[in-house]
Amino acid sequence: MAATRSYDEVFEGDELGPMALQLPADQVRAYARAADIHFPRFTDDEAAKREGLPGMIAPGNMSMGLLTTLIDGWAGPGGLRRLGTTFRAIVRPDRGLRLCGAVTEKHDDARTVELDVWIESDEGDRLVIGTATVALA
Amino acid sequence: MALDFDRSLLGREFDRSEHEPVQAATLIAFARSLGASDPCYVEDGPDLVAHPTWVVTYRGHKMFPDDMPAFFRGQMSFDAGKDVDLGAPIRPGDRITIVSTIHDVYEKTGRSGGMVFVVLRLTLTNQRGDLVAHVDNRFLYKV
Repeated sequence: MAATRSYDEVFEGDELGPMALQLPADQVRAYARAADIHFPRFTDDEAAKREGLPGMIAPGNMSMGLLTTLIDGWAGPGGLRRLGTTFRAIVRPDRGLRLCGAVTEKHDDARTVELDVWIESDEGDRLVIGTATVALA
Repeated sequence: MALDFDRSLLGREFDRSEHEPVQAATLIAFARSLGASDPCYVEDGPDLVAHPTWVVTYRGHKMFPDDMPAFFRGQMSFDAGKDVDLGAPIRPGDRITIVSTIHDVYEKTGRSGGMVFVVLRLTLTNQRGDLVAHVDNRFLYKV
């Protein structure tokens, strides 16, 4: 399994997305079940509020998964080599989100690219930021 | 704050856990929950592999070594982020072993005051001894 996007057709500054996303609460619950995460803050509004949160939130790990889906959609599955993320703010379901990215560097010898990736709110706040290394065809 | 931390703890294995064989249905449910639709993630068969971020779902038995400084015990931490280096893909039937180490401890000062970061590294290998991933979990403690 290897990426399908050709390294030769990619340039620094190329953008990934933006991919608009609503992230329904039920999808967050499905993720929590599939990932074997059992904290109520990821499944229940009231339980999250009792923890001092504004409501149910998405797990940080899910944000990494969503960014990977963006990267795979751009490069084809099999290319991701490294993903680093910083969780700057909570991601809440049922709100408008955008998955975004940009090519920041190319490495001709390895035919890999460095990406900046992030999840932003409809208001433009970057909730999750990260970098990735992707091997291309 | 000058944290009194014995740096000889860094890199020392403090936990090892072996997990049950990975099930195809589990991998498919995980990928679908992320909205992934690539056949290699959601169609059972010889080409099925785990979604790359499946590796962050693994946990060891213990979060920290028994001799971790008292400062970190019972103190609330925040999930500050993760860094994942991927190796061999996970396939159904793979048995994953996790070795836990404290990779780094460092301090920073932010707008809201002092912070200590602990980097917990999980090294995942499969039953063939292939490296599957390094997963660095960054935990933030407010001082």
